[in-house]
Formats: sequence, C-alpha cells, structure tokens
Amino acid sequence: MKQVLLIALREYKQYVLSRGFLIFLLMFPVSLVAVTAAMGLVERNKPVRAFVVYDETGQYADDIDREIERRYRFGAIRAWDDYVGAAVADGAEALPEPFAPAQVNDARLKAFEAAGGFEAARQAAAPLLREGAPDFELPRQQFERVKTDALLQGVTSLEDAEEVLRPYLLGERDVMRAEGATTPLFAAVMVPRDFGEGDEAAAAQYWSRNLTDNALEDLVGNALTSALKRQAIADMGLSEEALDDVAAISAPFNSYRPDRAAEDAQLSLKDRVETGLPAALTYMLLVIIFGVGNLLLTNTIEERSNKIVEILLSSVTAEQLMMGKLIGIAAVGLTMPAIFLFGGLAASATISSAGDSFMGAAIGTLFGSPLLLIYLFYFFCAYAIFAMIFLAIGAVSNSLQDAQSYMGPVMILVFAPLPFMIMVFQNPNGFIATLLTWIPIYTPYAVMMRAAADPPLWEVLGATALMLAFAALLARFMGRIFRNAILQASPPKAREVWRLARREGV
Amino acid sequence: MTDHPVQLENITKRYGAFTAVKDLTFSVAKGEIYGFLGPNGAGKTTTLRMMLDIVRPSEGRICVLGSNSAISVRRRIGYLPEERGLYRKMKAAQSIAYFAQLRGLSGRDAKKKAYALLEEFGLEDFARSKNEALSKGMAQKVQLLATIAHEPELLILDEPFSGLDPINQQTLEKLIADQRASGRTIIFSTHVMQHAERLCDRFLIIAEGEKRFEGTLSEARARYGQRLHVRSTAPAAAFEVLPGVEAVRLERNGGEESDYRIELADGADPQDFLRQAVAAGIVLTRFEQAGATLHDIFVDLAGDEASAPAHDQERAFARGAEAAE
Repeated sequence: MKQVLLIALREYKQYVLSRGFLIFLLMFPVSLVAVTAAMGLVERNKPVRAFVVYDETGQYADDIDREIERRYRFGAIRAWDDYVGAAVADGAEALPEPFAPAQVNDARLKAFEAAGGFEAARQAAAPLLREGAPDFELPRQQFERVKTDALLQGVTSLEDAEEVLRPYLLGERDVMRAEGATTPLFAAVMVPRDFGEGDEAAAAQYWSRNLTDNALEDLVGNALTSALKRQAIADMGLSEEALDDVAAISAPFNSYRPDRAAEDAQLSLKDRVETGLPAALTYMLLVIIFGVGNLLLTNTIEERSNKIVEILLSSVTAEQLMMGKLIGIAAVGLTMPAIFLFGGLAASATISSAGDSFMGAAIGTLFGSPLLLIYLFYFFCAYAIFAMIFLAIGAVSNSLQDAQSYMGPVMILVFAPLPFMIMVFQNPNGFIATLLTWIPIYTPYAVMMRAAADPPLWEVLGATALMLAFAALLARFMGRIFRNAILQASPPKAREVWRLARREGV
Repeated sequence: MTDHPVQLENITKRYGAFTAVKDLTFSVAKGEIYGFLGPNGAGKTTTLRMMLDIVRPSEGRICVLGSNSAISVRRRIGYLPEERGLYRKMKAAQSIAYFAQLRGLSGRDAKKKAYALLEEFGLEDFARSKNEALSKGMAQKVQLLATIAHEPELLILDEPFSGLDPINQQTLEKLIADQRASGRTIIFSTHVMQHAERLCDRFLIIAEGEKRFEGTLSEARARYGQRLHVRSTAPAAAFEVLPGVEAVRLERNGGEESDYRIELADGADPQDFLRQAVAAGIVLTRFEQAGATLHDIFVDLAGDEASAPAHDQERAFARGAEAAE
C-alpha cells in the first residue's frame, strides 16, 4: 500500500505543484476579480449614447425621456442594492424596507422616492457601514436625447430626416450634446405622422449601426408602447396615474411542493438551489472526468514513451502502478473543485452573511444534505469507468498521435449524454432519465442529475449495482490491456487490443 | 536461501506460437558477476524480466533470493532496464530518492542517500536540476544511482553500457566492481564482449532463446582448444600435415611470407607443434600462442543470430499476442 500511495503522491504533486496549475489557481480568482472590476469600469465609463428623435406627431419625445429617467432610477436603485450588499457590515437586510436590497420595480421605486430617495438612504445606511466603506456614487446616465432644432431645421418628411441623419449615423459627422461636447450619433428614432395603435397605423422606426447593443431599442419600444397605453387609458376616461398604479400591481404568487407538509411546502430559494445544484455538479463532473482522463492519458504515454514504466514495474506490480495513478489523478480532479468550493465559501463568508442569499442556500444544500456524498460516490464511479479507459489507451500509445485514433470514439462516449441532460433536468423521472440511468457508463451522470427529484430507490440501487458490476468488468479488461501493452516497445495495432484484453497476463 | 541467489530451471517463454526462451537453466552464485551475453533479440531481456516477475514464464521454475517470485523480494533487487527513462520534470535527487522509496527506503533515508550518491559520483551540482536539463550521460548515471540507492543484494543490469561514452563506461565498470567488492551479486546483459571479458566471473551465452554456453572464460577457451598465429614462407599444406593440427586458415597473404592461424586439436601441445614444424624444415618468422577470445566464442556460438536485426523479441512479443489466439 505504501508504494501505491507513493505513486499517487507523485502523480498528485506532479500536477498540483506544477507551475501551470499554481498559476491557474492564482489566476482564476484574480481574473474573476479583474473581469468584475473591468465590467464595472466599462459600465462606469460607458460613453453616453446620444440619439435623436424626429417625431412628426410631436407627442412622443417626452415619453421616451420619461422612460429613460425611469430606467435610470431603476439602475440607480440596483446600484444602491449592490453597494449596501458589500458595504454594510451586518447584512443589508438590517436597513429600513425601501432601502434594503429587494426586487426593483415601480412600487419599490415609488416607495424609495417617497422615503426620501438616495439622501435618506445614505443617512439610513451610514451607521451600518463597514469601516472604510466608500461613499455611494450614483451611476452615470446612459442615454441622452440630442436636441434636433438645428440639425433637422427645414426637414419636413421622414425621407428628408433619414437623408440628413445618415452621415451622422454612419459616423461621418458628430452631434453636439447639451453640455457642449461633440459625440457620434448612436441612433435615430423616427415617429411618422400616422403612428399609433392598430393595423392601419404606421410603425415607428429605429435606426442604428450598432446591432448588438439593443438597450436603447428596447427602451424606445417600451416608451412608445407605454405612451400608446396611456392614450388608450385616457380615451377610456382614466388618468395617467391610474395606469402607473395598475402597472405597479404585482400579483402575489407562491409556488408549492406537494411532497411536503403544508407549513414547509412553499418553494424557497433553497428549493430552487437544491434542484439546480445537482445539475451544475453533473456538468462539473463531465468536465472533470474529461480533464483528469486527459491527464491520465498524457501521463501514461509519457511513462511509456520515456521508458520509465519498466523501472516502475521492477519496484511495484502493474496493479499497484495502476491503482497509484488512479488515486493520484482522482485527487487532482477533486482538488480544483474543492479549492473553488472552499474559496467560494470563504469569499461568501467575508463578503456577505449566508442568511437567505443564494450562496447561503447553496452551502446549506451542499453540506446540509447527502448531495455532497452522492456526488463523491458517483464521481469515483464515473472516474473509475473512464479513467480505466484512458489508462488503457495510454498503455497502447507511444504518442498523443497514436492515442487520437482511440480518443475519438471515447470522446463521443463521454459527451454523448450532454444533449440529453437538459431533458433529464426538466423531466427527471421520464423515459430519457430512466434510460440513461440504466446505461452503466451514464448512470453516475443520470443519478446525479435526478438526485433532487427522488427517483425510485429500486431503480437507483439496481442501476448502481449494474454500473458497479460493469466497472469491475471494465477494470478487469482494461487492466489486462494495460499490463499486456505497457511493456511493448511498439504500440499494438487497434485490432490486437481486444486480444490483449482477453489475455490474463504477459 | 542457498548460495545461489538466482536459479532458473527449465524456463520457457512462449508468445503464442513464438518461443522467446527455450528450456533455459542456469544459476548465479552469491557475490559473483554474471554476464548474460547474446545478440539482439536472443531472449536476454525477456529472461531478465522473468527473473523480476515482470513477465511470467510459460514453463519452468525461477527462484530469486529464496523466493519463487521476485515481487516479494523486490526491495532487495536493483534493476536497470535496457530502455531507461526518467520523469523529465523531476529533479535528479528527487528521482533517485523516489525510486529508492519505492524500493523500501524511508523518505528521509532515500533523500539522504540520493544526495550522498550524487556527491560520490560528482553530480552534486546537478542534484536540483531537472532531468530534462541533464546530458544523456548524466541522466544515465542518475538512473544507475537510482538502481543502487536502496543498497540491493542483487543487481540486474540490462545492457548497462549502452549509450555511455568511454569515460562513463569506465566509471560504470568501476561501480560494478565496487558493488561486487561489497558482497553484491550482479547480473548484467551485454553484447559488448570486452566488458564481459573484463568483469564477469562467469557468463552465459544465449541465442534464439537457447543456452549455448555457461561457464568461465577459461572454460570457454579450453573448450575451443589452442590457437596459434604463425608467419612463414611455407604453404598452408605444409602445416596441415603436422600432427595435432586441426585447421589452418590464411590470415594474410604477404607474397613471400604469409600469416596463418592454426587451430590445434583438444589436448595438443603448441611446443610439440613447434618441434614438428622445425623438424619438417618449415621456417617460422613469427610464432604466437593465443586462446580464443570471448568475441570469437560469442560469434561462433551465436552464429548468424549475432547479426540479426534488433528487437526481434519485441516484435515477437506483439506477434505473440496475436498468435496466442
């Protein structure tokens, strides 16, 4: 056993203490922080997108302005929620209601402003802020409607407006902003004279060269829709405020699980996490199996092609060598998620209280249920099945090029369940889920994916027993290939591999 | 354990229809250097692998250090395979310590021993160098040190001199001699006869998987009779009629004088030959007595196989897998 552990330790250290792995471990959180910081920086420094409105009706420019202001306020409250989430020491939930982080909607916006807006919010948060916490800064405006008085002077039709605006839209000329600086024209909105609701009415037009950033397009569409609704409400004899009040209505709606007692039946974030986490773990399992499988493959090819294997086999048996490699590489496979998991836990513990947050729910699910144990069990099962295959391929290959001919079919096998996993996730006790559960090489993935859906116990136990028997049989055959092929100077041909699998020993 | 740490009895190894080793029997005495000689593909490596239980014999019995399987006594054996390698990213001292640990030394002792050996062999400056940065000769030294670091009783070295420059060959010869001096039993395979001649107490010649000879160099020479080198103006026929002469071979035709190699029959006395030649009126300007060299014996015993292409055994190994079906 000592030899097995020595081999495992060497394999483990070879990868985990390698410069590449350490750099990756260091780079991952650093790059996460960097990406987050860069996104914030980009968001903060996003140039104000200037646009013009040519409105032949003369009615809708104000509606668009109003929508811009509304969205800005929503964005400002979201920024406030993020700020207090990080800056308040004992949980932002301690703040009074409109200022505590919550869903951002018209009702909250109204309440927020009624409670005194950001000035009052700052005062409420002040005694709770962490030491050294920065001041809250309001986000920048994203859009500015440029006045068109000078630009479209004398223009009397949409066609003329289009002609005049085209060089601006193509970036050949800049427009003047209210503050006096010039800027490229991001978009132009044209509202025709006969714009309105109904099949006969003409459509408003949105012109822009930027086809990917559709925030303004979406905003303008919403603004025009709201304006038409307002008109319709007015036509019905109701006030605009009535429309706002109606729009702010949100139906109280709860979801329940029938498999729980009434008092616990209401679906919570924890339940959502409990359902989603196994799926996330399953995908992680697939990626890890592929990753560590490749490590095993390259490592075995190195030992074979560098002729180290014969020295090893004079010190340990082929079985000990295999076992040591399998244990060492399995440990490598678990190290990365373990580091990220515990790193994430540590980060979440320092950044925010667990409470009812997503991280809290994830931590509770992972450690408060058998999920982690199930994951570990099926990780080792899936690993045992695929690792033996990779090990055998390594033993019959002198180079990665040799291995390619075997890797194609194996890759198809590894990733074949991927397209079906979404079906298993959506219908965890359906036909596809059951079918995959009973295919031994996919049992680990399918059972993991179904973990939260309480699949029939007999099915899980039966499929697991079948999988274990299959794994044992596979280990026997692949072990023979490993033993019989590892010392051959020239790699066996593909047609000889089956014969190697059937021979007991060299 | 007997006085013979290695005993092989009637060992045969077949790969399907191909027989790599045929009915091989020999034993190695404690403290001796035993040469395992044969052309490429003769079955040397297969036999050594069978001794180590890396490969199982099809028939016969092997006893190594008193055990029927070398697996249980691996810690007392040091093995240097013919095709050697090291982990490229491992450091020299780490490599030696790692293999020593695999063979039973504790981590601390293995590390200590690794540094001591590197110092002894002048490689202390490279102890922390990665193997990929070492020259070929240095890497081979490191491999050899990894073989002896755990102080094995029995050393099995497969073609240890291959790839070494003359200086390193000399160092290795000294190391082998030193190991024997400290009581270790050494088996090494080679097809370079000079090393075997200088180092081996006894040797075995194997060809086509069969034993062709086992014994000491004097025994081999005795078996091959006396050989004389003479220079004379007389024709070959003049020597052929002399009593005790078995064969006459013209080595160089110098016009007036020629060089001959005279093979004498077993038991024939070279002095009798000299007297008979003088009595027959043959004038000899050179008369030199010589035994058969190991090279001559090897070529004679291994015959055509000595020039057979390399790695026949390996090909047979692969073919055998197919033929086994």
